[in-house]
Amino acid sequence: MTATLRVSNLSKTYGSGDHAVHAVRNVTFESDAGSFITVVGPSGSGKTTLLAMVGALLQPTEGVIELDGRDVSRLSGRQQAQFRREGVGYVFQSNNLIPYLTARENLLLMRTISGKNGREGRERAEQLLDELGLTSRADAVATELSGGERQRVAIARALMNDPRVVLVDEPTASLDSERGKQVVESLVREVKGRNKLGIMVTHDMAMAEMTDRILEMRDGEMTERNRPSIPDASA
Amino acid sequence: MIGLIEIKRRKMQFALIGLIVTLIAYLVLMINGLGVGLNEQAGSALENFDADALAYSDGAGLSVIRSELGADVVERAQQVDGIDAAAPLGYVAANYRYGDGDVASAAFLGYDPGTVGEPDVVDGRPLEADDRFGLLADSAFLDNADLSVGDTVPISLRLDTIEFEIVGEIDQGNFFFQPVVYLLRDTWQELKYGPDPEEGTPIASIVLLQGDDLVGDYDGFEVVSKSVAFDNIEGVSGQQATVTALRWFGYLIGALIIGSFFYVLTLQRIVQIGVMKAIGASGLFIFSQGLMQVVTITLVGLAISVPLAGVTDWALQQLPDPVPIAFTTGTYITTSISLLFAAALGALFSARQVARVDPIIALGQQQ
Repeated sequence: MTATLRVSNLSKTYGSGDHAVHAVRNVTFESDAGSFITVVGPSGSGKTTLLAMVGALLQPTEGVIELDGRDVSRLSGRQQAQFRREGVGYVFQSNNLIPYLTARENLLLMRTISGKNGREGRERAEQLLDELGLTSRADAVATELSGGERQRVAIARALMNDPRVVLVDEPTASLDSERGKQVVESLVREVKGRNKLGIMVTHDMAMAEMTDRILEMRDGEMTERNRPSIPDASA
Repeated sequence: MIGLIEIKRRKMQFALIGLIVTLIAYLVLMINGLGVGLNEQAGSALENFDADALAYSDGAGLSVIRSELGADVVERAQQVDGIDAAAPLGYVAANYRYGDGDVASAAFLGYDPGTVGEPDVVDGRPLEADDRFGLLADSAFLDNADLSVGDTVPISLRLDTIEFEIVGEIDQGNFFFQPVVYLLRDTWQELKYGPDPEEGTPIASIVLLQGDDLVGDYDGFEVVSKSVAFDNIEGVSGQQATVTALRWFGYLIGALIIGSFFYVLTLQRIVQIGVMKAIGASGLFIFSQGLMQVVTITLVGLAISVPLAGVTDWALQQLPDPVPIAFTTGTYITTSISLLFAAALGALFSARQVARVDPIIALGQQQ
């Protein structure tokens, strides 16, 4: 399935009048499935707010977000939850696995909340655990996993429901640079290999350089960042 | 079923609340058992009357102690429209001596053999019309006094002491917290009003009535249902109000403690709830996991406390002075369902908190 994301004139403003804070201002960009974008910028630049709007965690003040031609910027609360279950996969900054569940159970949770328990889900969980090198750790409780293992489980969880877009928030924040690099490599490989669209927010340029395209946020505004070369991350 | 998995993996955390729920369930069960036991002591004999309604004298305020019915009133009561059968019954409390001169009191009920007022005899024989000084004694009376059928017992009233022979054993319960003893109504009249009663002396305290639609005010007497008569036994309404208040406090405390525990648990899990919402879980799904935990913990608490209450009941009955406590299947079922309901109600405290969690916190942003 080709996932085309089109973001048009997107803005998010908190408060009003003199106290208004323009977190995101008039952002426009497009991307196709099979690509991985990184949004970089300093703290408070609006990159996480942008990610939250694309992932239906926040409603924009203005503008449109279209995924496969469907406007997802004005969904009701229930529609947002369904979109987050089926259309989006999240990898959070601190992995945020359910601590008392095993790696396998964290993956199967995605099926449970979608009401899709069954053999197909279990097979998919085993396949993802295998592809991310986690089979031997499948029965380990989340708190027993290392930081890198937890992030790989988080990646597998994000892919569990076969979403069109994978949104990644500072995935290497709690990892050393070597483990961080491995995690981003896994991310880019798994997302592009499955013909998904990946969007990662980070302030780590070394990690950003591993993706196809870098967008920079500053004071809520977006600019395309020129790069000397684009590595073939799917190789 | 991640709620159940959490209980399994965090045993110590949930064992604490499980223990508290068990103790609350045990406490409420004991209060309810005490309520049933006290009611049995107060008037199980009345509940065992083979009657649909009872007739009391006017102005007695439905008190068996104050009610006195003359022959004319008893005759009118026996002819109320819709009546199938009727029997006058006399009541008086009297002392008896047993053992080494110990004194105790019993509820003496005077009846006429062959009427609906006659109790079933479980041992020995029924009273005959010429058993002037014969008694049918309740099992509790015999146990307390260490007497058996065939023994004699001295009964004291009005400065007289008369030897009575126990001719039969009955299982009729208690009246006014005393075991009941049945004797002939003529003997009862003699005990209460003295020998050779004058004309016009009351011949009964109440009349037992069988039939439909008998309740109402009549000339010289009033008829009430057996349940109304029970509620009007001296002290019963106050006792029931006390037990009911204790029972409701038990449920309230249960709901508050369980609710507070899960509220704190919800506050501790705010980020986790935010993450679950961010990955698409509905508030209802998340709340249902918490509710499942509440129901499971309460069921475990009940599974421990119900047999514990049964054992306590047995142990208390072994005491020299048994505690007035009694359990019925209905007590266990009613208490269990009520406590489950109270626990679920307590869990609702957390529902609003769950609904308020914004999934954006999964991205590390403030709500």
